[in-house]
Amino acid sequence: MDSFLLGLIAGSFVSIGAYSVLIGDNPLSKFTENLYMGILGGFIFATNWNYVRTNAFNPVFQGNFVYIVAIILCVLLFSRLKTEWLWLSRYPVAVTVGAGLGLAIRTTIIADFLGQISATVLPLTSLDNLLMVIGTVTAAAYFIFTAQMEGPYKYVNKTGRVFLLAAFGVTYGQTVSFRFELVIGRLVDMLRPEVAIYTYVMLLLVALGLGYGYYTKKIKWYSGR
Amino acid sequence: MSLMDKMLALDQRIIFALLFLALAFPILNPVILPMDIQKYSRDSFEFADSIPAGSVVLIEGGLGAATYPQGGPGLEVQIVHLLQKDVKLVFFSISTEMAQWTVTAINNALDNLPSGVAAENGVNWVHLGYVPGGESGVAALANDIRSVKTEDHFGTPIDQIPIMANINKASDFAACFWWGGSEGSIPYGVRQIVTPFGIPMTGMCTTNEVPNYTPYINSGQMIGIIGGVRGSAEYEYLMGMPGLALGQAMATNFGGLLWGILVVLGNILYFIARREEGAD
Amino acid sequence: MSDRLIKMQIPIILTAIIGLLMIIEFFFPMPATITNLNITLRSFVTIISAAALILGTIVLTIYHGKKVGTKGSEWYYSIVYILAFAITAGLGVINVRDTTFLWIYNNMTSPIGAALYSLTAFYITSAAYRVLRARNWEGAILLVSALIVLLMLIPIGAILFPPVVPIGTWIRNIPSGAGFRGMIIGTSLGIMGLGVRVFLGRQKEHLGIREERRGSE
Repeated sequence: MDSFLLGLIAGSFVSIGAYSVLIGDNPLSKFTENLYMGILGGFIFATNWNYVRTNAFNPVFQGNFVYIVAIILCVLLFSRLKTEWLWLSRYPVAVTVGAGLGLAIRTTIIADFLGQISATVLPLTSLDNLLMVIGTVTAAAYFIFTAQMEGPYKYVNKTGRVFLLAAFGVTYGQTVSFRFELVIGRLVDMLRPEVAIYTYVMLLLVALGLGYGYYTKKIKWYSGR
Repeated sequence: MSLMDKMLALDQRIIFALLFLALAFPILNPVILPMDIQKYSRDSFEFADSIPAGSVVLIEGGLGAATYPQGGPGLEVQIVHLLQKDVKLVFFSISTEMAQWTVTAINNALDNLPSGVAAENGVNWVHLGYVPGGESGVAALANDIRSVKTEDHFGTPIDQIPIMANINKASDFAACFWWGGSEGSIPYGVRQIVTPFGIPMTGMCTTNEVPNYTPYINSGQMIGIIGGVRGSAEYEYLMGMPGLALGQAMATNFGGLLWGILVVLGNILYFIARREEGAD
Repeated sequence: MSDRLIKMQIPIILTAIIGLLMIIEFFFPMPATITNLNITLRSFVTIISAAALILGTIVLTIYHGKKVGTKGSEWYYSIVYILAFAITAGLGVINVRDTTFLWIYNNMTSPIGAALYSLTAFYITSAAYRVLRARNWEGAILLVSALIVLLMLIPIGAILFPPVVPIGTWIRNIPSGAGFRGMIIGTSLGIMGLGVRVFLGRQKEHLGIREERRGSE
């Protein structure tokens, strides 16, 4: 059996373990969740260590000593593990947050603020353009929480809410489709012709195991949900 | 308890089982139905088609384990599309998981490449790999690639990679393709690559995020978008390479109908119960 | 130097200086020294971000280790975590391109992650049946637009109800597009406001200063 097929079968087994949580928390689902966290944690640890080694330690070994500062900042970050030394971690956090905020602000002014406002300046020659202008202005005004909801502003607020509800409704419909696509993506791999038989056998074994557990009350049954 | 009360208090595990069957059935018994091509997908395809031969483009590979079934087929077809046009590809990812899945996409695309199409690692494409830091990492990469990447995903020093000889910042690219999956990272590309450098960009996102990015498309900051598995299926269709995405798009039919029926049924039962309470 | 200066004020000032350097560089021509400094700072940020993720995994491992040590609730599952972490991290640190390391990730973690992520499909359907009601006009707008858009997206929806395609496309582009544009403008104002507050030192939560008032500083 080649490693690709073995991988698909292993993937099918662990997926059934994950999906078993739909019946209710049970030993198989908890085992699968902890297995997932462990492997993912190890993967994140290894790949990020590789990045730090390649981009901080290697430059120092090659003579670019400015990266010693980066290494020191990384070490300071680990002071978070001890409460008395927590203040040391403020330095790397300050660098990260300062740079991140600066980078976000400098382009959000143009891309998100001015860019979207200039795109809203439309000739009011069609219903679509009129709705776009009204909708954008009222939806943006909805987020001004310091104004009193009275007089004409009350109607601005209500109109903005209509457009925001339409936006949330559209997102909800799209999200439902997205979630179905996630399940389908998993099922396509689990129900491939060469893997399906293993999937069915595993499903049967899990059903028997959990059924026995619920019958003998060794696993708690969550009723009436 | 009346029948209506029992239905309103239905154990959710029954709904789970019904949904499972509704989604599994079309996978085991596929039915292909005609499907319109959405404007966003067509715009994105035509944009990729307009890239001149010999250009170098930047591709953000943001698909992970969960989102690869939806976007992966589309990304693979786009890689084939661009390589066939002799466009050179520079990949990167903003997460370790996505960097790994980008390798999968490249390998699958290379397996499906027609013979005679040049696709040499380092010459026609390169995968720079993982760049941490989220938007800050994208900004760092866009301003000076060598400040954040000294080697590619496979360990080759960047200065030994022919395709990277004259490439060091975003302005050196002709276009950007942001396959953001469900990262919510498309705004990073708009803010850190499109806005400062004026590089045209299209992208892919999961179905749920398409409405979030319509303002960028309507304002011209993005050119079309490939939305979820439907978008990938449409790209496959436009390339004349129907595949996995098309089958998956068809499989959403029964699940969507079930959801619609349950929502309508739930509301009907709710209004009947409310009227009965009012009558009482 | 006073305690307060080193532990609080210098980090706040550092945040502001670095942030302002990034902003000014974008809008005004700067000498090469400043540009190179910014390039270096940005590369430092990526390295610190990677280290932060390493720290996160270590914190989680310590939590599970303590659970095993004190035989906390369901401590045996923590052994599963620790073993999985140790094997995967060990293989990856030795060689991040090792085939066994990558096989474990691709065939164990990825399917579980995909399955866990997809569980919400079931909960969202159950919740829609029980809770998604057109109780008032606002709920009706949300429900109707969700239903139309979902039918537009599934191929069979266009065949059974052809008008959903143009109607759904219009709702997505115009009312929803306007709503999201308003949200983007509002969010960008929020980011700018947050930046001003952080750079002026009025908001210090990112440095964990509020939480430490309960402990030692």
